Amino acid sequence: MRVLNIILNGKAVTAREGQTILELAQENGVFIPTLCHSPALEPAAMCRLCTVQVIEGGRAKFVTACNFPLRRDAEIRTDSPEVRHGRKLIIELLMARCPSSPELQRLAVEYEADLTRFSSLNDDCVVCGLCTRACEAVTGKTLSLAGRGTAIHVSTAFAKISDFCIGCGACVQICPVQKISMEDVDGERHILLHGKIVSQVKLPRCKSCGKYFGPVIDLEKVMDRMGEHLIPPPNADTCPECSRHNLAVKLGKRYFEQYGVFREEGQADAG
Amino acid sequence: MIEATQTALTPSEVTKIMSTEALAEYRQKLQAQYDPNAPMIYVCCGTGCQAAGSVDVVEKFREILVGSAWDGKVVPMIKPTGCHGFCSRGPLVIIEPQDIFYQRVTVNDVQEIVEKTVLNNELIKRLQYKSAGAKESITKASEIPYYAKQTRLVLKNIGRVNPTEIGDSIIRNGYAALAKALTQMTPQQVIDEVSSSKLRGRGGAGFPTGLKWESCAKQEGLRYVICNADEGDPGAFMDRSLLEGDPHSVLEGMAICAYAVGSHRGYMYVRAEYPLAVKTLTTAIRQAEALGLLGKNIMGTGFDFEVTISTGAGAFICGESSALMASLEGKVGRPRPKYIRSVEKGFRDSPSNLNNVETYANIPSIIANGGNWYKSYGTERSSGTKVFALTGNVFNIGLVEVPMGISLMEIVFGIGGGVPNKRALKGVQTGGPSGGCIPIPHKIPDINVGYGKLAEVGSIMGSGGMIVMDEDTCMVEVARYFVNFLVEESCGQCTPCREGLTRMKEILDRITQGDGREGDIELLEEIGKFTNNFSLCGLGTSAANPVLSTIRYFREEYEAHIRDKKCPAGVCKKLFHYEIDPDICTGCGLCKSKCPVKAISGEKKKVHVIDQSLCMKCMECYKNCKFRSVKIM
Ligand SMILES: Cc1cc2nc3c(=O)[nH]c(=O)nc-3n(C[C@H](O)[C@H](O)[C@H](O)COP(=O)(O)O)c2cc1C
Ligand code: SF4
Ligand code: FES
Repeated sequence: MRVLNIILNGKAVTAREGQTILELAQENGVFIPTLCHSPALEPAAMCRLCTVQVIEGGRAKFVTACNFPLRRDAEIRTDSPEVRHGRKLIIELLMARCPSSPELQRLAVEYEADLTRFSSLNDDCVVCGLCTRACEAVTGKTLSLAGRGTAIHVSTAFAKISDFCIGCGACVQICPVQKISMEDVDGERHILLHGKIVSQVKLPRCKSCGKYFGPVIDLEKVMDRMGEHLIPPPNADTCPECSRHNLAVKLGKRYFEQYGVFREEGQADAG
Repeated sequence: MIEATQTALTPSEVTKIMSTEALAEYRQKLQAQYDPNAPMIYVCCGTGCQAAGSVDVVEKFREILVGSAWDGKVVPMIKPTGCHGFCSRGPLVIIEPQDIFYQRVTVNDVQEIVEKTVLNNELIKRLQYKSAGAKESITKASEIPYYAKQTRLVLKNIGRVNPTEIGDSIIRNGYAALAKALTQMTPQQVIDEVSSSKLRGRGGAGFPTGLKWESCAKQEGLRYVICNADEGDPGAFMDRSLLEGDPHSVLEGMAICAYAVGSHRGYMYVRAEYPLAVKTLTTAIRQAEALGLLGKNIMGTGFDFEVTISTGAGAFICGESSALMASLEGKVGRPRPKYIRSVEKGFRDSPSNLNNVETYANIPSIIANGGNWYKSYGTERSSGTKVFALTGNVFNIGLVEVPMGISLMEIVFGIGGGVPNKRALKGVQTGGPSGGCIPIPHKIPDINVGYGKLAEVGSIMGSGGMIVMDEDTCMVEVARYFVNFLVEESCGQCTPCREGLTRMKEILDRITQGDGREGDIELLEEIGKFTNNFSLCGLGTSAANPVLSTIRYFREEYEAHIRDKKCPAGVCKKLFHYEIDPDICTGCGLCKSKCPVKAISGEKKKVHVIDQSLCMKCMECYKNCKFRSVKIM
């Protein structure tokens, strides 16, 4: 692998060929703000918050740090006045849509955003595409970006309650503005986009403790993948907690049979 | 579409052409059957002329001519052709060998044309073309300034070949350049020839074509040759005209490219709104394959190249290279956030060479005549010719092909015939929706049209849109119009373009509504520079051009809207009113009779007045006053 000589904010550092600017910056303790990036997912470079200036072969240009692969020696400015100014505008524009996001509020302070310049559009979504990419990585089909221009939005196919959702909650976890939520109600898991139910997944009831637990489809998928080789096979009618407990009891019994010190205990709390 | 029945040889009658010599022989055979002195009637059947009824005109000619007694005379041939580019005068008919030009021909004129002109060489005055203000009409097509002042290299076959008849193309040396490349040149020599021509991409960015081919040829493995026929710029139709009028030049150019870069698979991504182009292309590909000029083992050389047509997803953004490739793959047509060129990793992650229709259509002549020949047209940095779609406030609306470096004033006045209605020229907008306005002749006297010069004045070549604007054009409204278009067409995935354009539109809306605020101009400039630097794809990085260029040259017009609440051009309805200048008004009464809401009063020969409470600013009085006494206030 070729080693590249990079001037990062005036400091000489080395980089591996193909490494992104964001990775290099993180290795060198330089913070670049990101909104649509997750190291677990393919970069989409949609928010543009991570934009920096690169001077390669004498030509300066603006590129996004999260997906720009370093291929030759270059100078990088991650915090120039031009860069900071652009980020300030991105924050101002997004704050007009999502004023309640703590992440954006924090950035607004750091970049001295003027929040009076753009009237509120109260849309709630910053269109970072993290949920759709996370979903794609898990099931591939439930959430996607639909529409064009300002009408672009996260949606299930034809805005109908989705049949593909496995209720994994990855979208809920990853949303940077907390606009996707999850509720388990009466044996069903609901995923809510801006408060509106977009999927309903049936939850199984644990035969040991009676609690509803992880969605059935999820387990079926796992069993599909693991096949018959997994011993013991995952138990679709016992919750993970009880499964763990039951296994411990079994092992404990064996231990007692060998060493004679096992205290029988009741089942896991059915709370 | 009209099926060809007139030309002697259709591909089904000949066997495959299995060598380049066989192509030459076939061409000679076709040429021998062609009598240059025989009467030939060319009828434009481009989309514009078809809409105006040209198909019926062709049918009528056939009805009269085919099967009639000709007393020993040669039976005239009828040739439906592709778009001549002079659509505003259509349907067009040209009669050879005399080169007689008739415009706005209807079915009812056909009988007379045959009897008088074709049989007796007699001209029909009412169908002839007259230059603006001229008394004498012009007989020959080649003498009409609109045509005479053009240099038609890439459009050379259009209007002269029947696009559904491959023999027409072959007579005019179609596929001869491909034959030359395949048998007399190495792929590298082909690339060198294209590089030496200094041809730059005609799709917008102006990237050197030879260089692109060179990088694609260097890649390993399966490669694709793709033609961008998405032509999304509103008002541009040069690509459509080429596809409908001379499809074989485009296909031949693609095949030459495939040979040069080492590809065997080609795709044409054609805009869905171009059904005639798709149909013509389908026929053209079928005929070329039947003759062995495309497909497997082309002309017996062992070289294979297959072309597939794919229709676009109907979005402007699908013309952007990475969005186009995503769309070709059946995915959503959104630009990809990759810092990798498609010549390295494009369609299906394979190296892909994407060029525009016009770029490919230039290739056969370059290979046939050499890069030096091509370079002899145009300028050092912008070689060859470019087709522009001339439109707006200009007499002659249509396609014009001119050498690069030509004066913009010459295009507007020499070819375009100037600005109608005695209005003054205010500027010319070039480059499509993300282009800029050039303030000729007042603020910039003239420019030589080329990639560098256009960029210098804040505009772009784009795909060749050219809108002439007269003094009644409001530049703020122009900017608002284009930004509005781009907001709708933005894919919406990146923040600067989606949000920035929305805000620019919001600000321009309020300025044109009379609610502009101090600081709005500066805010537009700030957002514009930001979207140009921070957006993901070419749409966003050029979207602010119409705003920035109009601010640069017409700042005072923005200021008038914001500070004085006035629209000096009289376009933004809330920001002006009409008044009749009592010193000029002769009391002729024309305005009074034209006003649809009876807002004008006044006795004959006395000064007239407009009742502002009734006036709806429809412009009728303003447009019609012979003395220009109606003033914008
Ligand atoms: C928003 C956008 C729309 C575009 N539309 C077209 C188009 O309709 N036709 C075209 O040939 N190129 C279009 N382009 C340019 C293409 O991305 C690409 O540069 C071009 O097809 C390359 O061919 P060339 O080198 O022969 O010009 C567009 C670019 C952008 C950013
Ligand atoms: S610049 Fe506009 S069109 Fe291009 S990716 Fe961003 S939002 Fe989409
Ligand atoms: S984090 Fe790079 S564009 Fe969003």
